[in-house]
Amino acid sequence: MNSKRLVYHLQEIRHKEASMEPETSQFESSEMLATLLASTPLLEESWRMCSHANAAAQRSFAVNRVGTVAYVAFSGVQMVDCSEESCRSLVEVESGANKGIFTAFSGRRLDLEGDQKPIMLHSGLLQLFLSFYYTQDFQQKMLEILNESKSVVFTGYSIGGALASLSALWLLSVVRTTSPSLSVLCITYGSVMLGNESFSQAILQERWGGNFCHIVAHHDIVPRLLFAPSSPIVAQVRALFNFWQLSMISPHFMQQASQLSNENTAELFDKVLSCVEVSSRGGEDEERSPFWPFGTYLFCTDNGAICLDNTTAIVKLLYLTLATGSPNSSIEDHLKYEYYVGKVCWQYLQKKGFSEVYVSESSNEAGIALALQSSGLPSQEPVYGTAKNCLAMARQLGCRRNLNNAKMAVSLSKITPLRAQIEWYKAFCDGSDDQMGYYDSFKRRSASKRGNKVNMNRIRLGQFWDDVINMLENNQLTHDFHKLPKYVNASQFYKLLVEPLEIAEYYRTCMHKKNGHYMEHGRAKRFKIFDNWWRDIRAGDKESSPRSKFASLTQDTCFWAQVEEARDSVYHITSEMDLGRRSFLLDKIEKFEQYANGMIERKEVSIDVLAKYSSYNLFREEWKEVQLQVLPPRFAGISDGTGEEVV
Amino acid sequence: MVRGMRVGEITGLREEVIIKACKLSMKAHEKSPGKVYIHEKNRGSGEAFFAFPGSWSVDDWYTRNPFGEIKIDVSQFHCMKSIGNDEIALVNEAFYRRFQELLSKSSLLNEVEKAISDRKQIIFTGHSSGGPIAILTTIWFFEKYIRSNTYNIPPFCLTYGSPLLGNRIFSHALKRENWARFFIHFVTKHDIVPRIMLTPLPHIEKVLHYILDFYNPKSPYYQHESISKTNVASNFFLSVLRNTLSVASQMACYNKGCTNLLLETISSIVEISPYRPFGVFVFCTGNGKLVILDNPDGVLQLLFFCLQLSPEEENVDFVHGMFKEHFVYENELQESLTMQDVTYLESLVDVPLSADAITDDAAALNDLGLTTRARLCLRAAGELEKQKLRNQRKIDSNKDTIKEALKKIQEYKTSCEIRKVGYYDAFKIQKDTNDFDANIKRVELTGIWDEIIEMIKRRELPDGFEVRKEWIELGTVFRRLVEPLDIANYYRHAKNEDTGPYMAGARPRRYRFPQKWHEHAERMPVGSSSETTFWAEVEELRGKPYGEVKDKILRVEEQVLGWISGGLIGKDVFLDESSFTKWWRTLPFEHKLGSSLAGYISN
Repeated sequence: MNSKRLVYHLQEIRHKEASMEPETSQFESSEMLATLLASTPLLEESWRMCSHANAAAQRSFAVNRVGTVAYVAFSGVQMVDCSEESCRSLVEVESGANKGIFTAFSGRRLDLEGDQKPIMLHSGLLQLFLSFYYTQDFQQKMLEILNESKSVVFTGYSIGGALASLSALWLLSVVRTTSPSLSVLCITYGSVMLGNESFSQAILQERWGGNFCHIVAHHDIVPRLLFAPSSPIVAQVRALFNFWQLSMISPHFMQQASQLSNENTAELFDKVLSCVEVSSRGGEDEERSPFWPFGTYLFCTDNGAICLDNTTAIVKLLYLTLATGSPNSSIEDHLKYEYYVGKVCWQYLQKKGFSEVYVSESSNEAGIALALQSSGLPSQEPVYGTAKNCLAMARQLGCRRNLNNAKMAVSLSKITPLRAQIEWYKAFCDGSDDQMGYYDSFKRRSASKRGNKVNMNRIRLGQFWDDVINMLENNQLTHDFHKLPKYVNASQFYKLLVEPLEIAEYYRTCMHKKNGHYMEHGRAKRFKIFDNWWRDIRAGDKESSPRSKFASLTQDTCFWAQVEEARDSVYHITSEMDLGRRSFLLDKIEKFEQYANGMIERKEVSIDVLAKYSSYNLFREEWKEVQLQVLPPRFAGISDGTGEEVV
Repeated sequence: MVRGMRVGEITGLREEVIIKACKLSMKAHEKSPGKVYIHEKNRGSGEAFFAFPGSWSVDDWYTRNPFGEIKIDVSQFHCMKSIGNDEIALVNEAFYRRFQELLSKSSLLNEVEKAISDRKQIIFTGHSSGGPIAILTTIWFFEKYIRSNTYNIPPFCLTYGSPLLGNRIFSHALKRENWARFFIHFVTKHDIVPRIMLTPLPHIEKVLHYILDFYNPKSPYYQHESISKTNVASNFFLSVLRNTLSVASQMACYNKGCTNLLLETISSIVEISPYRPFGVFVFCTGNGKLVILDNPDGVLQLLFFCLQLSPEEENVDFVHGMFKEHFVYENELQESLTMQDVTYLESLVDVPLSADAITDDAAALNDLGLTTRARLCLRAAGELEKQKLRNQRKIDSNKDTIKEALKKIQEYKTSCEIRKVGYYDAFKIQKDTNDFDANIKRVELTGIWDEIIEMIKRRELPDGFEVRKEWIELGTVFRRLVEPLDIANYYRHAKNEDTGPYMAGARPRRYRFPQKWHEHAERMPVGSSSETTFWAEVEELRGKPYGEVKDKILRVEEQVLGWISGGLIGKDVFLDESSFTKWWRTLPFEHKLGSSLAGYISN
């Protein structure tokens, strides 16, 4: 390489580096967030309420107000045996007695087809929650909170934590529609897991991940327990819960050793540890537990705390931190929340540096090293590398999603001109002398420059939206993307404008003869997804006032597909000899006619529908002809007075 | 990090002025009754000093729970808001009231104007709770004399151990107007007073009056150990420390790009102080060194991390010493200004992370007791500032594209006029290819401008963006040329039937913001530069019976006359085919006869 080229080459590299934007923040913030939480009164207050509920309100809950915040604590002493096989099973969130309680998840049709599983919750814990939920006491107190408080913190220790989670979930569903200004937070201490991965995903999609904070004491086995199948460890778990619950009631009991032999404890520890490991490896393992964490986790150790919201990272850390523990510490730590809360709340007020001498000058390296030191995984640990990658990955994903959302806004504005060209095309056709409207102009177009261009735009817009859906399904956009008005409105407008062209193209190329009609066999997945987005965001909207002129775009995007089907029926009815099928077709045509008349009356169609030579008017003429010529007189009057205003 | 500069070079103030102001601000506390400030002028020197005393009753600090902040009065403090978003700055009500009283009941105004006529360099100063009064007086001075170009020597404000006064918008506005650099705040490492306002009143309500007695020179407990060596003092200190951490760590989470939604939930439940630092801060290490920085987020981090204790410091004597640090400014500064061991943290991203570094650079940071965690927070604050500058550069690179598109729309407008149709009406009809091309240009511009406005809303651009001349001008051209097309588009699609009149909520921010920039820069009343929404007014009037909107029509006609003569809207609105002309001709004969526009439109 000669020197000139070398210089050029170096410039190239430098240029590339300069133009490369930092995709991720170089600062690890998981510890900072834990610091913030610890500096507020939230942890101390909620823990105080938990221990109060444990001792004083067994099998119940307690309410207390501090300023404008209401605290609701569930006792950790509850009558549920997590170990029973029947209790460990999962039930669908919207089934049986619990229907209508978690309304956010009800009527949730799955946007994402295929392999997604229904939302499932731990059946025993759900039953326990319902036994509270249906009491007058609970309903009464919740009503008071809704009326009198600005925010509510649900909290609970051990099994009580799961009850707190379910209560918070219920209230979040309620306030979403009734009083969106009420803030809801759930803080659990050493809670068992509650639901499956779909549940965890649904929480993210509702943007509720930040409303749940699960505190995990360093080696506490309880938050990891449900990673293991219960059958081999049933007896140990039962004995342990007995021991823990007795200790909660009378702290003196704690000094006595648990009734479990060392051997049993070790067996339990090994079993759980190996199961957490299986889950933390990921992948579709048959052995893997159906349970999965949701919301945010706060990992507490002697050295500090960190806060994570990426569930993959959470499971990994649940494993890595447990692996540094012992059978005894995994049982004792479940009783040490008082200690950890106190520690975490005060230690950040003190100066503390690295225990080792070497400090990296890279913000990224130093930040991660400090965070891991706080979570009990200092750089001397052999798993340090794994843990480091795990934190880096979690941060990168979080940042990239936000970044992708921002980039999407730019891409969206770039494709808007394509849409504007189609709008222009529609206006041109609607005003054109051939009086066909843009649907029929496009369907019957000859090879013209204009038609080709519009067709290209149709294809490119389809690709854009398919890419969006693809990214969403691959977790590359924020979880609430499909609820952001900007994109829901844009997708709706796209659908209104372009789906008629998709239908036109479908019938132009006679795809219906090959595959069947559009609505059932030809409609792209994206349109169905956009239907759902639109329905979700519009839920609860008021009826709008009547239109004074025809809509600029037909409000039912499948209107033209229905026209095509109706025309097809008219075509077939003349040759249909079978009376049963004939009356079926007749029925179908009449239904469409009624529907179309209604649309026109409410001015929900655009003027292109009413163009003289549009497919819709062709249908009307053909239908009239059929009625007059072919059908017996009793059918002739059916469409009387229905469409006169149209012509 | 910059070393070797003198305090005078960095702040633009001579060292003896700093000492003098400090002396006066302490002396002000002992003023004779009835005198609410000290005014000192020497015939020989070029400076005039105004020093304000503090006050120490609880009501003079907090007027109510939890932080006692109110919106500042923008009719007096025009600049103390964000321009586009129109968010008004918050100030501590107690300090604000004290300032208002001072202004209305003292001879301050006269003496200030006397100093102006003597062409003095004016210095406002205050120690402790005298500081906020000095700050407000300085801003008042900037608004009244500097912004109006009545006087051209900007004043300085020097505070010593002052409590915080305003919120984020307060800080943003002062930075935007380029006034922040004239405020120099001195803070000793452990002085608790500058941190008190970060604590909600309910946390310290029971003990605050003891503490303020300790600081009050006129109280029998002034600097008395019977307060500072008790549990009351230690608990007070811990409460302030912990709440300072809440504010600092919340800010650090944002600075570090935390995406965890728990951050939002915590912020919505916990009451976190709105008060933020602004201006230039000079931290005294306690052994003669000085650390200077002007990044408000960075200052906030130092307010916490300098106060953090090491285990051996957790004892009553040490806490007593911390309380005393509120009174050492004069001696401390005498020593430091002689030594001139100054570290200027100009670029926070370069702060070394390791406390073991033994270079001179790092020594001052070590003396402030900054751990690696603290330094990471400083770096994150610096990185955010840098990111804002990068964003601004990126936005700037769009200027040519915008100008090019505007040129195309201008050509479109001209071509329409040649055909005797106003471009508003031509665009609304959308008949020809060039109407369509203009629409594509409009859509392109929309994309670029919406992105800029989004960034302003998300605070991703530097504080000064909304007062940059070239963008204000470009925004005005954009608004005058393109907003009529947006209005045409709106009414063409009858969107007013779905979402109401254009002006009632449908007007995009990309026009509202530049209008406010323009009005702010020209010091016009808010809303007075609304010529670009003329067509929206017309569209709404057109649909209504004359009797109902007669007054409105008269008002619009009046405005149009003004805009036409000022060249703010084109004469194309009076073309024969213009929908304005057509509508105007339908008005009752008597009206047209007396109308001020009669001369423009042939009947």
